[in-house]
Amino acid sequence: MSSDTSHAAREGFQPHALLAAVAFPGAGHMILGEVKRGVYAAIGVLGLFLGGIFLGGIDVIDSKEDRVWFLGQACVGPLAFGIDYLHQNHFKVRDPVSGRLRSARPDEGRGPDGTPQRLEIAPAPNTPAVPTQPPNRKSIGKVNELGTLFAAIAGMMNLIVIIDASYPSKRQAPSKNPDPAASLRPEGSA
Amino acid sequence: MMSSLLAYRPFIDPIDAHGWWFLLLLPMAFFVALAYKSVRVADLKDLWRNTLVMSAQITLAMIGLGFAFYLFVEYLLPIIVPRT
Repeated sequence: MSSDTSHAAREGFQPHALLAAVAFPGAGHMILGEVKRGVYAAIGVLGLFLGGIFLGGIDVIDSKEDRVWFLGQACVGPLAFGIDYLHQNHFKVRDPVSGRLRSARPDEGRGPDGTPQRLEIAPAPNTPAVPTQPPNRKSIGKVNELGTLFAAIAGMMNLIVIIDASYPSKRQAPSKNPDPAASLRPEGSA
Repeated sequence: MMSSLLAYRPFIDPIDAHGWWFLLLLPMAFFVALAYKSVRVADLKDLWRNTLVMSAQITLAMIGLGFAFYLFVEYLLPIIVPRT
């Protein structure tokens, strides 16, 4: 597909590109034929999102304890919801007193039924499966703040990418006139 | 104590960046600039130059903001609200 053809075919709102962009960062541009642009956008968004999780651990994606931050992170798409589901259902423990999900304490593991269990660093050989470390460690301080911020900014940047994929004709075309002020001058003037 | 003895698991446990957290401004600025410029530039040949320029702009702006807030808190605020 030539660039002229693709540009003409991409005038106005593109619902299929919108859906693809919401499904995965950069996919909207890819299905419009701009594969390299989509890949670069995906690297930018996923670099921030995965970088945030690398910094602060899975704890930074939490729709229950950090709901406002998750509103921004959710703009990354199903990936954010999937990681949040994983965090809520496979890493948090259900508090036996309140019945609510919470992060495991440093001296707690996660039992098969999701209840907190006391850690055994060196379990006896014939004991049933006993957790030897917490399901995850809760991040604190600057590392938690920055990890959460990285992931939230990723969502904000992906929103820009989604809008750009939905309305590709809005992008500034390459300027053929190197002097933008020239078009404003009256004819015949220097 | 106990948690420090356990194995680090990438993407599950946080990293220990408490001593150099401010350096994380650099990758943040780079990825923000890359995501923005990838949809902004008309010709992808200009992408990396534009990305690096914007990364530098973000970094310098953040340093400038930090310095401005330092001056505000350390020098201007004591003038406005004298210590008792």
